[in-house]
Order: sequence, then structure tokens, then C-alpha cells
Amino acid sequence: MGTVKTVASPAVNAARENILTRIAKANPDSRTRPVSAGSDALDAIFPAIPNQRQRFLDECAGNLTEVFVTTDAAHSADALALILSTVPAGEVYVQHDPALQPLISVLKEWRTVKLSSEGAPAESIQATVTLAHGFVAQTGSILMSSACGGRGASIVPPCHIVYGRGEQIVADIAAALARVADAIPDASYVGLITGSSRTADIEKILVQGAHGPRRLVVILEG
Amino acid sequence: MNPPANSAANRKVALFVPCFVDQVAPRAAIDAVTVLRRIGCEIVFPDDQTCCGQPGFNTGHWEVARPCAEHFVRVFSRYDAIVCPSGSCTSMVRKHYPEVLESTPLRGDAVEVGKRVFEFAEYLVRVAGVTDVGARFPHAVTYHPSCHATRELGIYDEPMQLLRAVRDIDLRPLPNEGECCGFGGMFSTKFGMISAAMGDTKAGNIEQAGAEYVTTVDPSCLMHLEGVFGATGRKLKTIYLASILANTDGGADRGVNSPRRAK
Amino acid sequence: MSAAAQEFLVNAIAKSSDLEHRALIQRGMLSYDAAVVKGKLRFSDWEAARDRCAAVKAEGIANLGRLLIEFERRITQRGGHVHWAENAGQANEYVVELARARNVKTVVKSKSMVTEEIHLGAALEKNGITVWETDLGEFIVQLRREPPYHIVTPAMHLSRRQIADLFRDKLGEDVKDADPGRLVAAARVALRRAFFAAEMGISGANFLVADSGMVAISTNEGNGRLTTTIPRIHVVVAGIEKVIPRMSDLAALWPVLATSGTGQPITTYSTLIRGPRSAGENDGPEEFHVVLVDNGRTELLANPETEEVLKCIRCGACLNICPIFRHVGGHTYGTIYPGPIGSIYTPRTKDLSEWGHLSYACSICTACKGVCPVKIDLPKQLLLTRRDFISGRNVKAAERAGFAAFRWVTASGGRFQLMGWLGRKAVAAVNAFGLSGTALDPMRAWTKYRSPMKFPKKSFRGWWRDNGNR
Repeated sequence: MGTVKTVASPAVNAARENILTRIAKANPDSRTRPVSAGSDALDAIFPAIPNQRQRFLDECAGNLTEVFVTTDAAHSADALALILSTVPAGEVYVQHDPALQPLISVLKEWRTVKLSSEGAPAESIQATVTLAHGFVAQTGSILMSSACGGRGASIVPPCHIVYGRGEQIVADIAAALARVADAIPDASYVGLITGSSRTADIEKILVQGAHGPRRLVVILEG
Repeated sequence: MNPPANSAANRKVALFVPCFVDQVAPRAAIDAVTVLRRIGCEIVFPDDQTCCGQPGFNTGHWEVARPCAEHFVRVFSRYDAIVCPSGSCTSMVRKHYPEVLESTPLRGDAVEVGKRVFEFAEYLVRVAGVTDVGARFPHAVTYHPSCHATRELGIYDEPMQLLRAVRDIDLRPLPNEGECCGFGGMFSTKFGMISAAMGDTKAGNIEQAGAEYVTTVDPSCLMHLEGVFGATGRKLKTIYLASILANTDGGADRGVNSPRRAK
Repeated sequence: MSAAAQEFLVNAIAKSSDLEHRALIQRGMLSYDAAVVKGKLRFSDWEAARDRCAAVKAEGIANLGRLLIEFERRITQRGGHVHWAENAGQANEYVVELARARNVKTVVKSKSMVTEEIHLGAALEKNGITVWETDLGEFIVQLRREPPYHIVTPAMHLSRRQIADLFRDKLGEDVKDADPGRLVAAARVALRRAFFAAEMGISGANFLVADSGMVAISTNEGNGRLTTTIPRIHVVVAGIEKVIPRMSDLAALWPVLATSGTGQPITTYSTLIRGPRSAGENDGPEEFHVVLVDNGRTELLANPETEEVLKCIRCGACLNICPIFRHVGGHTYGTIYPGPIGSIYTPRTKDLSEWGHLSYACSICTACKGVCPVKIDLPKQLLLTRRDFISGRNVKAAERAGFAAFRWVTASGGRFQLMGWLGRKAVAAVNAFGLSGTALDPMRAWTKYRSPMKFPKKSFRGWWRDNGNR
């Protein structure tokens, strides 16, 4: 590990001890503390969602996530072909997962496909296709992680296509986060992605497509 | 006029006159007296009163605010109802005296007297239960919800109800009404350029409302705005709420500190 | 008056009369106001949401030591490194040394207020390392060599025309019609090269999650994602007060931060990083460092009165609502943190004598208190800062004498009446002799910007005595 001071170095430990000592001195147990509201208090903050699927679709319409609703794998493959027909020529990066095989088997014939197992996505890729861990009705978000083809798959390309199933829809952010602890214990990156990349830094005017994907597309099967 | 069951008839009210109203803008207090008497109150003016201490408190000179607060408590404790023609001074007593008098013997008394101090509009509507005081003011008026009254004391409906009951008044909504006019006590001179800019923005909004007059429950805001109107050559006028309500015949110009012939 | 206070006054004078600047800011703030009104409708109880976030942040601060240790343990378990820095110097030293040891030539940075606070960019550049700010607003002000104007929208003071001219001059990109979409595209191309060339990505953190050892980063542009994905080293710099107890707390904090910050339901990229790439992952940084920065935060913690200031989640809502900010703008303050929070934070963590004037650049309108999503009593904090400024004997003798006189005058009604009468006579004399506005005019601070007050012949007391007292 090079010549950087590591945690073991005495100088570093001094700063750590100094800060912790100052905190301890500032924060004696004798001061009364408010008790944090439990997570059930969230029911009081957000309204209930009667139809999660409809809510998810409505939110996606609002945050400009394109959604293709399909009935089965063949239908989904058609949807993917349709989407990619509007993506400029260039490599398509696909998460290496059996669930995506049916979708891309035809694709390989007319598009260069690079699998995530072959390495990181190149700067020049035009689109990525990944799975997701879930869909959040409350905000029209997609629960992603680095287990879905790596970190770059959801941020490097101009177009990110997510393939998922209707039963993956969960009610809200709380439910999605609860899933993280159980279902995604090892991934180094986990995140909610809500709509396409955007900025309002110029005169507070909203512009789609800043550094991340300009297009976020969901193929929602079943 | 419609004095209801809990009419203020024969109610004794001690008048707490803010220091600058006393010396610079007495019309505000005089007209408050007129209106309170009209609804049947008996007015007492404890003449040993001086200042609520806000100038000291707001500038960080709590060593000055404290004796003012103590003096106020001593002068006013004996009264059941104290009415003040100023939202910010009322707020000082009710909200900040406990802080200023923290760990002093008079803190308890300050909390108690705070419960009995009322801003003028608040008193009329919430205590005396009166919204129509028989006023007439045939002019275009907009209400500026002064910061302390609105945000610290929650007073907004009361002045609006009183204004709506004024005959022939043309009440205009004020764009961006919640934004501070820029007075802020000593801020008005410590950072006069910012204060004037804020006043200029407020003046622009008043013009946009199409109002001839701006009114509020804080004479200090009006003093500042009148100065801004003058400096920027605007044909707008200020009038304290009680001065509108004191008019029964549509009266002449009653700027917050314009002179008036003694009755 | 301190040098900083003098500079503030000069800048305030310039900006207060700049009507173009005022109109630009008002436009931006009105659009923000409208967005937040819409955003709050998504909550069934916005006040309950504020209460919850306030409680979570208070809990984090109350258990700061324990939570930071737990966070450190989990990060370290996954191969990350946690470095503690008492001050800016120690933080910068660590990052610079790391960069040099790893032969870093280029750094990409996503938005982080604390890195501005410690001037990390300058420290890296002094050591020959090129730093690219990748948040569009930060990128723009970096090209202009000026500080950010606002903590959420750093370039809101610039028109598209100014940005187009800047890109033409500095990037060689000529966006002739100054169309915002094309300007963003030009920035994307320029920064893309930087993302793929950089050896190190530096980010901030919105929250440090203790129970799961995660760094939470909220962005809209995606620059935060690219910064933490492409370069082989990822460094997080975060104030120690960013730690929160649980991941589940984000279910409230994320929407509330986004709503208060921009009116959005949630930011586009709500990211959680556990460490460097895990075994079997095909991309992501190989190294992960978290620098925990004190730099005065334990001072705020040590004072029970100021502790609540550490709840701040840097949403910018108090800046946006503040009428002073709306009239003088972010640069006038001369600090990294402007607006109400900055006017408390800067005097308290840097130097009260030097920066205490900021706490006075406020009319105590209390609008900020109503919008703070973690319920910091900002007006109270401003007043306490003023109180401590005065007890630190930071004002001129003339002001102290003035208030001593005020204390004397307000001790009795009779004395008050007499001095008031004398005062009115003095002002009348000044006006009569045409001395209004001169050095002899006690009202000149007032009349500098307003037409003179008309002083009445009689005070209220006088009227009451003569005909009021039935």
C-alpha cells in the first residue's frame, strides 16, 4: 500500500483520538436526548399508495422514464429491438445474467454486444441493458446495484435499458431500502435511480441529459 | 358595529405604547385608543412605561434588554389585559422575555404577563370578539403581513377580518406578501442599503397590487416604507391598521406619523 | 469593524442597487418557490416529515462518537480506509499525499461543500494536480475563477449568455444561441474526457450511514456517479456531523432533502457506496478512502446552545427564503456558506470577531425557521451569535456608550419622556438649520436611504396628558 499514512500510523491515531475525546467531552450521557421516531412513523408522512403499479407508471411519466409494458419474454425482446432501433450504431453493453439471455439472443445478430463479464463499459457504448433489484412506486425509481452489471452500466451510456417484472414493484423508498440489507449484501454500490440525468444549473432551466444517461427505459414484463 | 356577547364594554385595558410610537409615530397609538374606546374599553396608560427592550435584545446587548424587561414586568404585571399597537413589541414580551430573563427572579412573572399582552388586532378579534368597528375607508389598500406578528404570533386572520369589515374599502392582495419589508430594527441603519433594497422590492409589490395605501399591524414597518416611498419618489402612502379603523367618515390622509389636529 | 465586515458592506452596497442582479435572483427564487409548493403536496404531513428528520439528525449528533466508530468499523471491514482530520490542513495533507503516492495527475470532483470549506482544490493544484469540478454549476464558477454563489445552484447568478461566452473563451465551444441544452451538452463532452482520464475521484457525502457502513450521495446530473465509478481511487470527504444512525432513516431524509433543495420528490441518483469494488465486480474504484473532517464542528457540539446547528443537511432552503440573500446574493457574504446558516456557522467555527457582522445582516424576519427541514431555530441562533459577539466586546465604544445611555433613559417613564422631548427638539433644530444628512444629524443613518421622518410636536404621552386621559 504505498507511502500513505494508514490507519495504523500514530499521527492519524492522534487526530482520531483527539476528535473522539472532544466529542465525548461535549456530549456527556447526562444530557437528555430526544428519542428518534421509529420507522412506523413514516405512515404519517406519506399518503398510502392504493395501486402501486399505476403509481409507478404515473411517476415514470412524470420523471421521463420511458416504460414499455410487455406480456412475456418474446414481447420484451421485441420491445428491446424497438428501443435499440432508435439508439445510434455502436456497442451495447449487457449485464451477464441468464435472465437477459432470451432478450439478447436475437440482438447479437445485428448489434455488437459486450457482456459485463468481459470488463467495464467503454466510453463509447451507446446503450446498456441490465436487470434491477426492484421498482419503487412512490417515486418511480429503479433499485440498482453494482451486481446489475457493475456500476458503470447505469451511468456511462447515453441510454440505459432496464428489464424487470411487474412483481418487482415495491411501495416506497422504505421498502426498497429494507430490500438492500437482505437482498444486496455484497454489492459495493447500491442506488435508486429516478428518471434521466438532468440539471437546472443554467438559469434554473431544466435540461435532460447532463452527465448520466439522457434516456432511461424500463421494459416491464408481466 | 356588532358587539357580541363577550363585548368589550367596560373592559379595562392597559395601553403599552412602543417607545418609538410614543416619540415618533403617536398617531398609531392615538387611533388605537379611539377604536378601543369605541368598542367600550376603558383605557389606562401606565406612564412609567418605557421600552420593551427589543433594540437591546436584537442587537445582542442583552445587558440592556434585561433591565427593560424587568421594568416592563414591574409596570404591567398588575393589569389583566395589555394592548400594544405593535406586533414586534408584543412578540418581544410574549416570546422573548422568558429567554432574556432566564435564571432571574422575574422570569415567572414575565411568562405570566406575556399571556396577558395582546397585539391590537389580536385583542379586538380574539379577546373582545369584534371584527366590525364601524369604520369606513374608501381607498385601495393592501395588507403587509409584518414578520413578527405573522410568524411569531400567528396573527394574520385577525387584521384581515377587521379590514374586510371596513365599508367601501378596496382590499388588494399583495404579491409575495410574506417577504420582509426590510426594517428589522437596527438592521435598518446597520445595513441601510439592504434594508432600502428590500423596501424597494416591497414597494414594487404594493404598486403591482394597485394599492394606494399599505397597512400593517407594525408601525415600524410603515415608518420604514414611508421613508422608502419618499426616497424613491413613489406616490404610495402608509397607514397603520388602527388609523383605518378609526375612520368612520372616510377621513383624510393619515400617514403613520403625520400630524393631526388635537381633538 | 473587521476587514471582512468592511468588504461585506462594500459588496452589499454594490449588489443592493444592482436591479438586474435582483431581477435574476427573484426569477430563480420564484421558480424554486413554485417547485417546493408542488413538492410538499406529495407529503400527507410535511410538518411530521420535518419533525422526523429533525429527530434523526438530533439522534445522530447525540450519539456522534459511537456512530462514527461504527461507521468506521464497517467501512474498514470492506477494505476502505477511514482517516480522521481535526482541521483543513490535516484533511488536505492526507488527500495530497495519497494523490502523490498514487501518481495521480488528474482529479474529478463532485459537489462537496466541505471540500470548498477546506480549500482542497487549491491544495491539490498547488501540488501540480489538475482538478475538474464536475457538477455543472461548480464547473462554471471554476472556469470563472470565482466561488460558488449558492450551495445548491452555484451558478444561478449567471445568464446563459454569460455561460456561452465563458465556454467559448475557456473551452473553445461556441454555442451561438446560448441554448441551455447545447451548453449542457458542451460541458458533458468536456467533462467526459476528464472522467475517463482521472486517476482519482473526490466526492462529498450527504449522509454517512452507521448501521450499514454506507456513504450516501444525492445528485441529479450523474457526475457524482461517474466520479465514484470510473477513476481507480475514490476519496470521500465529509464533515463528522453527516453521520446518521440507520439506512432506513433515508426513507424520510432523501425526499425531504430533495423537496427542500429543489422541490423534487427525490434526486435522480440517490447513491450508497459501501467501499471499493467488491470481489467479482467488473468495474468501480480499487481503493476507497473516507476523510472525516472536524474543522470546528466539535466546537459547535461542545456548546449546548449551538449544538442544533450541526443538524444542517445543506439543503439551501434557508438561503432561498432569506430576503437578504435575495437582495445581495451569495458572493456578498464572502464565505463558503452564505445565507442564514452561513451567518451562524462561519462566525461560530472561524472567528466571531471577524465574521460576527454576518449575524447582523439579517432583519430577523424568521422566514428561515419555517423552512428548515431539520427545524434548526435559525433566528434564535443568529440572536445568540449577536449576544456572544457583544459580550466579546466586539463593537465600538460609541455603540456601547449609546446602549448604556439607552439603559439609563429607559429606566423610568419620566426620564424617558424628558429625553424623548430633548431628542425631538434636537432633530427639529438639525432640520431647521439645514443640517439634515450632515455629520451633525443624528438621523443620518436613517436618511441616507430614506426620506426624513416627520417628528410630531407632541409625543403620545404629551397627547395623553393634555387630552387623552378622560
